[in-house]
Amino acid sequence: MLVKDHHGKLIADAVVLATPSDPKAAQRAKPPPDAVDQVDKQFVPYVKPVFMGSKVRFPNSDHIRHQVYSFSPAKKFELPLYSGTDAPPVVFDKPGIVVLGCNIHDWMVGYIYVSETPFFAKTEAAGRATIVDIPPGEYTVRVWHPSMEHGEETTARRITVSAEGSASIEWDLSLKPTFRVPRVSGAGSPGYP
Amino acid sequence: MQRNALAGHAWERGQRSAATRGPLAALIVLSAIPYAARSDWTPGVEAGVRHDNNVGNAQSSRDIVADSIVSARLSIFQLFPLGDSYSVTVAGDLGGESFHRLTGLSNASVDGAFALKKKWGLGAFAPWARIGVSAARSDYQDSYRNAWIYRATLASGQRFDERWNLWMEYAFERRAARAQAEEVPGLSGDAFSQSSHNVAVDVEYSLGERTFFALGLLGRHGDVESTTARSAKIYHASLALAEDPAFGPEAYAYRLTGTTFGFRVGINYSPTPHSLLGCGFERLETHGDGGNSYTKSVPEITWDYRF
Repeated sequence: MLVKDHHGKLIADAVVLATPSDPKAAQRAKPPPDAVDQVDKQFVPYVKPVFMGSKVRFPNSDHIRHQVYSFSPAKKFELPLYSGTDAPPVVFDKPGIVVLGCNIHDWMVGYIYVSETPFFAKTEAAGRATIVDIPPGEYTVRVWHPSMEHGEETTARRITVSAEGSASIEWDLSLKPTFRVPRVSGAGSPGYP
Repeated sequence: MQRNALAGHAWERGQRSAATRGPLAALIVLSAIPYAARSDWTPGVEAGVRHDNNVGNAQSSRDIVADSIVSARLSIFQLFPLGDSYSVTVAGDLGGESFHRLTGLSNASVDGAFALKKKWGLGAFAPWARIGVSAARSDYQDSYRNAWIYRATLASGQRFDERWNLWMEYAFERRAARAQAEEVPGLSGDAFSQSSHNVAVDVEYSLGERTFFALGLLGRHGDVESTTARSAKIYHASLALAEDPAFGPEAYAYRLTGTTFGFRVGINYSPTPHSLLGCGFERLETHGDGGNSYTKSVPEITWDYRF
């Protein structure tokens, strides 16, 4: 799978999802635990796709404390101030997009995409994503990105995966300009805003 | 005016305390940064160049002296979250300014600050308020200007979304300098001490992922110091008078009561997540007692880095 924007620029951090026509094909054993780290006062990775029901830990690799939260309907939670690996895992049991923030460092933002299908992958810097171990069958394939202008439904394509072969798809996404809270701001004197 | 030519003599005449203390303190702070960068303390570095077209706050063109100033500051702070709503910040910084022509005004300063902040809610878009106090010591090349500066602030603001950030601040500032000998019997020689009330409203607007525009409106009422040659007009309105040899042998600093209005605009660009390049312009207009008014314009280029 290849994801580009309208200018041909390859897009990283896009989530590509393949939903099987047969719901039974989407059933999978308990998803493995996952993690979103905090490094240099940023969420790493910036975008994390997980399967519905996943337990995600939020280790803090910084030497300062963070207070991770989300207001998103798919998962509202707050991890009181912690450092290291003290925070308990969070179970993401509803599909949707979860926007992460830190109450201490306002510019920190990250995304967890909670997928209903176990068949997904995230594009790397080269704009490519590969969904592996996908059974043969009919699928609806979609793509999501934090800055996409239109809903992921507009990207839906139908494909058939054969027993022997593979399928390739390219998307041209229209992205909105992104605005992030600056790390250095005049309002923060002394200290961050 | 002989002022410009004579200003350089301030270097020889002035005490060298600022010149020696500044680098020593900078060395201490710099050596602490590698440790601080790995701890809860957050260090930062700032540098700037500005051009002040009226350093002495003079009204008459014959008294106006422009100069370029290079500044640098090392800062360090720690934020102590107190639950979801409150946080305390303890900060300190060490700064220095080097005046190109008026070398007697070159200075080093050390500053300590404490602030308590409350946020109404979680996240970047929660409204907040902050109360803070700070104390600073500034040592000038011409030591008669040395002063303690005390400041109490009350600020509040809110980031409305990723693009708009608005806050306002009130500050009371007291600058306490050593009184000079009376030049005129009955008129105080304490021309460099000042008290003032300051208000500011600031807004930032993001133009893109790395660039934001800043606009600030400023108001100030209180003591101002204007350095001019002898003048009956300013003398009759002044509260204090002292020689000000940093500007030349015939220069006198007059303390007046005045009201200042102004604005600053700037555009800032983050080449990396930790750093910010800024280009700004400040315009101030002061109306002093007795018709002693003056204006100043200050373009500035700054660079900030926070670990």
